[in-house]
Amino acid sequence: MWERIREMIRKEFRQTLREPRMRGILIVPPLLQTIIFGFAVNLDVEHVRIGWLDDDRTAESRTLQHGFAANRTFELSREASSERVAQDMLDRGEVQAVVRVPPGFSRDLKSGRQAEVQVLLDGSNSNTAAIIGNYAASIIAARNRELLQDRQREKLVGRTQNGPVLLRLPAIEPDRRVWFNPELRSRNYFVPGVIVNIITLVTLMLTALSIVREKEIGTMEQIMVTPIRPIELMLGKTIPFALIGMFDMLLVTGIALLIFHVPLRGSFVLLGCASALFLLSTLGIGLFMSTISETQQQAMMGSFFFFQPAFMLSGFSFPIRNMPEPVQWVTYLNPLRYFMDIVRGVFLKGSGVDVLWPQMAMLGIMGVLILTFSAMRFHKRLD
Amino acid sequence: MSYRRFHAIFRKEMLHIMRDWRSLMMALAVPLLLLLLFGYALTLDVDRIPTVIYDQSHTQQSRELANRFSGSRYFEIVSRQGGYAEIVKGIDRSKVLLGVVIPRDFARHVESGEAVAVQLLLDGSDSNTASIAAGYAESLVLAYSTELREAQLIRRGSGKFEPPIDVRVRVLYNNEMKSRNFIVPGLIAVILMIIAALLTSLTVAREWENGTMEQLLSTPVRPSELLLGKLSAYFLLGMADMTIALIVGVGVFGVPLRGNMLLLIFCSALFLFGALCWGIFLSTVTRSQLLAYQLSLLSSFLPAFLLSGFIFAIENMPWIIQQFTLIVPARYFVSILQGIFLKGVGVQVVWGQMLFLGIYATLVFTLANRKMRQKMA
Amino acid sequence: MQQRNGSTVQVRNLVKRFGSFVAVDDVSLDVSRGEIFGFLGPNGAGKSTTIRILCGLLAPTSGQALVYGFDVAKEPERVKQSIGYMSQRFSLYDDLTVEENIEFFSGVYGVPREKRAERKAYAMKMAGLEGEHDRMTRLLAGGWKQRLALGCAILHEPPIVFLDEPTSGVDPMARRQFWDLIYEMAEGGTTVFVTTHYMEEAEYCHRLALMYKGRTIALGTPAELKKQQGVGSTMDDVFIASIEREEARAQ
Repeated sequence: MWERIREMIRKEFRQTLREPRMRGILIVPPLLQTIIFGFAVNLDVEHVRIGWLDDDRTAESRTLQHGFAANRTFELSREASSERVAQDMLDRGEVQAVVRVPPGFSRDLKSGRQAEVQVLLDGSNSNTAAIIGNYAASIIAARNRELLQDRQREKLVGRTQNGPVLLRLPAIEPDRRVWFNPELRSRNYFVPGVIVNIITLVTLMLTALSIVREKEIGTMEQIMVTPIRPIELMLGKTIPFALIGMFDMLLVTGIALLIFHVPLRGSFVLLGCASALFLLSTLGIGLFMSTISETQQQAMMGSFFFFQPAFMLSGFSFPIRNMPEPVQWVTYLNPLRYFMDIVRGVFLKGSGVDVLWPQMAMLGIMGVLILTFSAMRFHKRLD
Repeated sequence: MSYRRFHAIFRKEMLHIMRDWRSLMMALAVPLLLLLLFGYALTLDVDRIPTVIYDQSHTQQSRELANRFSGSRYFEIVSRQGGYAEIVKGIDRSKVLLGVVIPRDFARHVESGEAVAVQLLLDGSDSNTASIAAGYAESLVLAYSTELREAQLIRRGSGKFEPPIDVRVRVLYNNEMKSRNFIVPGLIAVILMIIAALLTSLTVAREWENGTMEQLLSTPVRPSELLLGKLSAYFLLGMADMTIALIVGVGVFGVPLRGNMLLLIFCSALFLFGALCWGIFLSTVTRSQLLAYQLSLLSSFLPAFLLSGFIFAIENMPWIIQQFTLIVPARYFVSILQGIFLKGVGVQVVWGQMLFLGIYATLVFTLANRKMRQKMA
Repeated sequence: MQQRNGSTVQVRNLVKRFGSFVAVDDVSLDVSRGEIFGFLGPNGAGKSTTIRILCGLLAPTSGQALVYGFDVAKEPERVKQSIGYMSQRFSLYDDLTVEENIEFFSGVYGVPREKRAERKAYAMKMAGLEGEHDRMTRLLAGGWKQRLALGCAILHEPPIVFLDEPTSGVDPMARRQFWDLIYEMAEGGTTVFVTTHYMEEAEYCHRLALMYKGRTIALGTPAELKKQQGVGSTMDDVFIASIEREEARAQ
């Protein structure tokens, strides 16, 4: 039995590694994808260009402007001369927000009336807009606190026979502690997720394609008349791609650590074991694709059909928690979801088996089920 | 150029598309699937943040703060009697995103008018959700703080209290702040790319592989007729998809279309034309379906998805990648789409982007035409 | 292994339907050891389907077929241990070398380790490719490819070999050489089952079945068939006359 499997594996590697193009496919796309994902897939809000529309032009308004200029998130790129110009800058997408200080700002402040500041947000990207709105509000809140302290001294001091009394006011300060990713770099979140993407893509496509290619060129028929057992044929066709999948996992992990400095807090061995469990599912699905496809093109499209929604619903960039309930139920059938949890847990939270066992168990169960199902469909028959 | 020959090619191409259920699936089901996914299931909006409150104070004041959290639609209280252990365990298992710790001496400090800190413990792994959640939580706490001061002042008879500067945030273009409103328009670019790149890339290569190209070569058909005949068939398919996307986006998901519909259709046609030419160009050059498919996936679909500003903002990318996005046509199209849909802008704003799409389409068409002539000669 | 009635292939009332289309219609035949049995017929007559059933690649709809004593429907895997098969299409790996192809098929056929070198040498010699171990298979000319494919199909010394149009698309010279190999095998006691649509090849077979629209419409040695048709008739005459008879009968 092992004899025949070994021979299959040897053949597969010879075919795969001989052609420079195939060798390239094993290394270049994972490399490129990791780097593009690492750099491009980024939800951090930085370098926000804002416009400044100052209708007051006093020392007070300039102090506020300095407050914005000093903030690292904002780049005060242009001053608008009128509301029309500001609107135009927003229309063209030259700035993402405009802060408008209306006339009388300083007068109101001095006279103790409430002064107003307007923030015009480009809400088209609601996600960025929400974060920019938060930042702007917090800068103004900081200015408020400064102003209040001044005012408290002036206004809130009462008098008794014993002298002036300071009226003390309560203040609740939110004290933010961010765990696992204190600088809130979205890269730390996304790059480990790329491992899931690449392992799935490489193993799914290669398995499906390599079997269907043999069908196309007719060698599959030749193999089917040999005494090789279906299980041997299946193992021979999947083990090489499992090894390649593991290799790509190492490659992406390496890039994540060396180029993107993503922390790996958990156990690497655990990551390896989870990857192996996950491979059961992807190889099983690849086998399944090969059983329903006659041509390589069908296999490609089939894989694309599966991969695209599965990846979208894995929680990679869109949190599963935000999805409508019925869709959330569907994601429980998605092996990518569990592997995504595990990879991120191991990388960022340093979680161990004690935390991740349910996901690993699910991967194991689904893998065995999918693989068995595909194996049952995988006959040594043509009809 | 003969209309008859062009029409023969066009008809044949339409028959291929109609007969092959797989192409039709690809052309009609995939766009619908993507629309449903992005319109219904996938959102970056943050609400119902699973929160554990650890109330060490057990006073009326601390309960009031907790009530503020449970009353907000942004937070979903998992437990109000949590402890540190529960928060840690919950965050480890990704069941909890935010822990709010109200200290033991909270009420005493509030009464005596001293500063007191409320701890917000956040799972930062998903930095985007975390920073939005932190923003919501902080502004909620600060608002409560302001109210307490106000109450205190009124009690002491010092008159009304208000913060010196009032911020009025006005959200333009997308006032409901729904991510769907900017993702669905951008999705049109991705959908057109799928038609253009994935289907067209196969069309010429398939003729080479099946040997029908040789047959065509023996007829008087000219390269430009072949090119245009094939283009037109897929162009119709693409515009059909664009219409589907428009109807589903506006009709079902209620995405606002504020600009001019004709301008939108014209820009889509311009973009689609360039994208189709690129697909045919790849197909002509490689002569292999598999290779053409992979190349077009890499060169058109992925950039349209990742580097167009469709979901991930271009401003946040490193300089070098930003420069690279300048040659991604989808980038220009996505900004036109978001402009027309949400901002209702007209030609005077998007002419630059349109010019680029026009130049790109002309260039790629010339390139495809020349390659086709070379290969057919 | 027992061989009932001296036959290594026994087919009784074999039927194969694909939906409403009857590809093989009530075929019965016996082939004995060392025989070269030919299947002659136009394209689409059901020759390849019959061979694929006999190889255990397709399940019969009804009827029975025993290959080397094993029922192809019930024990397809046992059948596969006793046969060699070469399909219409050239079916070696283009991107492996001659030697790697042979090694691979030795492996999947389970040729014992100690016999491998000997069988490899035999296959190389048979294909006329001695000293060409490292040649990439895609670079071989048609005739060599064909013989290498045959060599790979008999690495495990099967008692029965099925050849499905082995010489289509090969020049007459290479075809001649290929038939020499078939004779050699038959003399060594191997049963050879071959399909063809070349009339001159039909003459080389010991016995022939003419297939048309899924049915065997004539069966016998080439000499017998020609004699039945009349003195001086050729294989072509036999073929055409049989088809005309069948068409008349059907109406």
